[in-house]
Amino acid sequence: MPAAYPLPTNVSPATVANTASLLRIIALALISGAAIASRLFAVINFESIIHEFDPWFNFRATKVLASEGFYAFYNWFDASAWYPLGRVVGGTVYPGLMATSSVFYNILHALNLPVDIRNICVLLAPGFSALTAWATYMFTKEMKDASAGLLAAAFIGIVPGYISRSVAGSYDNEAIAIFLLMFTFFCWIKALKLGSALFGTVAAVFYFYMVAAWGGYVFITNMIPLHALVLILMGRFTSRLYVAYSSWYAIGTLASMQVPFVGFQPVRTSEHMVALGVFGLLQIVAFAQLIRSYLSSKQFQNLLFYSVVTTGILGTFVFVGLTYKGWIAPWTGRFYSLWDTGYAKKYIPIIASVSEHQPTAWPSFFMDLQLLIFLFPAGVILCFRELRDEHVFVIIYAVMASYFAGVMVRLMLTLTPCVCVASAVAFSSLLDTYIDPAEPDVPRNPQNGGNTTLEDVVAAATANTTKPGARSAPKGIFGLDTRMIIIFNAFGMLAFFVFHCTWVTSNAYSSPSVVLASSNPDGSQHIIDDYREAYYWLRQNTPETAVVMSWWDYGYQIAGMADRPTLVDNNTWNNTHIATVGKAMASPEEIAYPILRKHDVDYVLIIFGGLIGYSGDDINKFLWMVRIAQGVWPDEIQEPNYFTPQGEYRIDERASNAMKNSLMYKMTYHRFAELFGGSGQAVDRVRNQQVPKVGPTLDYLDEAFTSENWIVRIYQVKKEDDLGRDLKSANAFSQGKKRKRSKPVSKRRAIV
Amino acid sequence: MSRRATPFVLLGLLFSALPATSHSFENTAIVRTVDLGGSLVHVTTTFAAKSLEQDASVYTIALGEEEVDRTSWLDVKVKGQPDDLKMSIEYDPQSQMNLLDVTLPKALSLNSTITIVLETIQTHATWAWPEAAAQGDGQALKYKTDLLVPSPYKTHVQRTKLKSQSPNIISYTTPKHLDAFIQEGGPVTKSGATVTYGPYHGIPPSTAEDFLTSIQQSVVVHYSYDYPVLEVLKLRRAAEISHWGANLNIQDEISLHNAGPTLKGHFSRLEHQTQSYFKRPAAHVLPSLTLHLPAGIRNMYYYDLIGNVSTSHLRVPPSAKKATRAQYSVFEMKPRYPLMGGWNYSFTLGWDSPLENSASWDSAGGKYTVEIPIMTPIVGAVVNDAEVKVILPEGATDVKFAVPFPTVSNTLSTHITYLDTTGRPALTFKYKNLTDKHALSIYVSYRVPLSAHLKKPIAVAAGFFSLFTFALFARRIDLTISKKGKNVS
Repeated sequence: MPAAYPLPTNVSPATVANTASLLRIIALALISGAAIASRLFAVINFESIIHEFDPWFNFRATKVLASEGFYAFYNWFDASAWYPLGRVVGGTVYPGLMATSSVFYNILHALNLPVDIRNICVLLAPGFSALTAWATYMFTKEMKDASAGLLAAAFIGIVPGYISRSVAGSYDNEAIAIFLLMFTFFCWIKALKLGSALFGTVAAVFYFYMVAAWGGYVFITNMIPLHALVLILMGRFTSRLYVAYSSWYAIGTLASMQVPFVGFQPVRTSEHMVALGVFGLLQIVAFAQLIRSYLSSKQFQNLLFYSVVTTGILGTFVFVGLTYKGWIAPWTGRFYSLWDTGYAKKYIPIIASVSEHQPTAWPSFFMDLQLLIFLFPAGVILCFRELRDEHVFVIIYAVMASYFAGVMVRLMLTLTPCVCVASAVAFSSLLDTYIDPAEPDVPRNPQNGGNTTLEDVVAAATANTTKPGARSAPKGIFGLDTRMIIIFNAFGMLAFFVFHCTWVTSNAYSSPSVVLASSNPDGSQHIIDDYREAYYWLRQNTPETAVVMSWWDYGYQIAGMADRPTLVDNNTWNNTHIATVGKAMASPEEIAYPILRKHDVDYVLIIFGGLIGYSGDDINKFLWMVRIAQGVWPDEIQEPNYFTPQGEYRIDERASNAMKNSLMYKMTYHRFAELFGGSGQAVDRVRNQQVPKVGPTLDYLDEAFTSENWIVRIYQVKKEDDLGRDLKSANAFSQGKKRKRSKPVSKRRAIV
Repeated sequence: MSRRATPFVLLGLLFSALPATSHSFENTAIVRTVDLGGSLVHVTTTFAAKSLEQDASVYTIALGEEEVDRTSWLDVKVKGQPDDLKMSIEYDPQSQMNLLDVTLPKALSLNSTITIVLETIQTHATWAWPEAAAQGDGQALKYKTDLLVPSPYKTHVQRTKLKSQSPNIISYTTPKHLDAFIQEGGPVTKSGATVTYGPYHGIPPSTAEDFLTSIQQSVVVHYSYDYPVLEVLKLRRAAEISHWGANLNIQDEISLHNAGPTLKGHFSRLEHQTQSYFKRPAAHVLPSLTLHLPAGIRNMYYYDLIGNVSTSHLRVPPSAKKATRAQYSVFEMKPRYPLMGGWNYSFTLGWDSPLENSASWDSAGGKYTVEIPIMTPIVGAVVNDAEVKVILPEGATDVKFAVPFPTVSNTLSTHITYLDTTGRPALTFKYKNLTDKHALSIYVSYRVPLSAHLKKPIAVAAGFFSLFTFALFARRIDLTISKKGKNVS
């Protein structure tokens, strides 16, 4: 066999195996290091802080769990959320994340390492991303080999699609869920390959962990049965499949029902029915196999036909009957929105109002995956080439996840591991082919003594094309240069991939969004810290029972940082309550005031970005408030009223009356024009519109606090007037305005 | 211990004094000067005394009950001499006075004179009036004091000067029924920023029965004050000594309160920005604060309950040799929001400093001595409650400490932190009403045996060793039930 380059021959196989194993360990360690390090941009650029919105709740819950123990957490009724309803936190939360951090916290404290709970929460996601890299390595190793596994680990370690949900400080369920997802899949593949009940059980245990950690566990609940079903349909039923699936399903389902938030859902909701159905089907198939071994084939065929028809009809009737009786819950709205992207906008605006529930834009695929997006199909095709049981899994995974990632931005996250695995398979096949020194045997030309002339090559080529298969021309790669070109190219792509990932991570995904950054004239970083300024003011200078009303986006942050009761928060379980807040914000003061008073609201908090051009403010979200309120009170709030007759969304002189009179508008632009000296130059820098010269006046609320850059404005709700007047006339009286009367009353003397 | 500073807190000094004899001295003149401030009021009283008997060695100063309650710091000196005089205090129920017996440096002969200076700092002595002020309003305070300086001796002439920092004195009490003591002029005069009561002549001893009822009266002065009135409600300082890191970490948890007039109405950012734009900040608003920290510090941090506060600057000079110790780091901190009247702000401040700057090693006794400052003074602020916790290295024995002034309480506890096995001894000192005069140091000396120094590396090594041993055995134990059980399909 000729070789493109010589390989050492005097190395014993044991040495090669040992060296390879050592190199693998070092590579995995370095990959873990890179995965952790690339997620620390947020900590280095800003500080060790919890990001965004949901993580603030998780952080708060973790503190409760770590300080008061698991049972107190289980029974935790949070009276300060959803005032005055409260929230049963223990029963409405996936406790996996909080339990993980508090286990770490307790272990470290038991070892006399008193690490702050905040730092554990901040660094949990990077830590678990290293574990994800390892789990992906194990998974890919089952698909191809260890080198593909290392590539997959490196990909998942730095790919932005996963980093977006796991930077330091992004303390959300996804932080640990992706590791659990990959490891459960690995155990499932392992169990299927070996027919091992042990690995099936391990898969079930990690499935339970996943159920406790993330609502996305439904993805596993449907992926594994789907895989099993496809295998049965492909005629690949084996006792290994039976053992693996039965042990996973039985233990996993029982375990998952222990999570209070899940409860009896695995046997009562439609999302879980596939798993149950496939479990039943497997029993039938296994039973049929058993029977077949005792019967003749003719008898068996008849039996099979009738039993399949009967079971099919019976099964459908039972399913429909149970759904009709209400024992099996029908699909939820969130589920429908997965199939019909317009569904949410029509029926559940609260889901549609979240940006991460929007369909994914094409550029974001490239931004999140870069070169992997075109290696991915190649990897899936390579899976077809061998098509072992586990390759079927990757193919199904790829199809399902690609669809879901196209429907919802946040489901990009479930696609990413599959993309990394498939791309790694493709990339490593490429490298295997071109690094392999073996060259095909070339039939030597006796006349030329081994020197191939041009004519020979041309002749060989033409012969090959004109008469394919007539002469078996050697296929393969010749020489070192061809190899070098391809390999150089491949590594170049990898290098660009690394640059891209670093750039995207540092620029797009590492902002805590609680703290904003801008730069000073001298180029140094300037921190805009308005949120915390206002939240801390609330925490330090208002009574502890003061109820704060804000749009639901800020509920968790207010609870976490200001430690005050809120009306609504990011756990959007009560649409009516949110609509009430929306109605109060969208109504004129006179209508909003009774709503505020009935809900004991002391302070109203709004976000205003018009001064410094911060676009994520409440006026931009205002239409969603209107829409959600309209869903509940269609007679009182109508979206078209908030547009100008020309259909524009304006806040300047031409704004519609409903807009100008709404509480939100008044609070936002209260005294804003005066900041510019009332000269009519007050420009809202988000909307790029001039605000009216004479700003709105407030009669029922008082400005209580405004942060440095005016981003957060807090208003205090006035108490009822002591003399029983309505606040508008009381205000007019104290400003010295006379009430217009038809008859002048000046009969003061007559009274005496 | 430095002998220079032995000031004195009135609490805790209880041993009995020599009986005061009201005939051993007479005061030729008493001058009291009150520097009107915000949280702190500095009072200097000068007694010019003449001895009326041979070998008079104890001079008695009388202090009213209210005055004792307010006074947080007090010292007595002979004028022009640096040393503090020894003293003891006792309550005299008959005259309702606390009598402070001062032992003079040497006994006086008949008719010789001496000038004694009493310096006190009063806390919580002023109050805002009006009690609430709008954002643009000025700030005015009231201060109330006794008109006459009590003394168990007869006084020839005395006067009281109330000095304000701003010339705007809004009102002051004109005392009545003093004709017997006035020789010329009115009972009170005001010139510029100073209100002078007196001179009053021939004041009888305050032990006389009718002194409190008919002669003594209180006067109130109402003045404007241009700086925010700050109170530290609680200061918790933890000082952790590490020999392995050659490091002294000091961490302060401070809750600051603006005790000036409470904000009337609401805070308007617009008004605040206008004021700072035209450089006319309101007197009762604290927009930022400058603190002096030790030189040569590193890893300084400033955060509060919800994270780092990014609006601060620190300038650190290198840690200097003992000769040029006067250098300090300047820390300009800006609270998250301007502190209006009645608002609170709590924060944590901490830094590391090289241990050699504050520790010394006595090779003869084998002991370390470490100097721990009790507080970092915030200018013009009173610290209502202070708790200083000194955490010594693990295994420190033979712990002794010297405090510059008596504590309210001190306790010894165990503190467990990173890589500790048995925990570190920790001393906790509690104080009340500290002022910038109290920014002195506690000295702690202790012995650390070599075995205690080695505890940490041994503990860490043992931890890793047991982990590796476990891994060693875990990899070699075969737990499979049957060898051929695998790969059966």
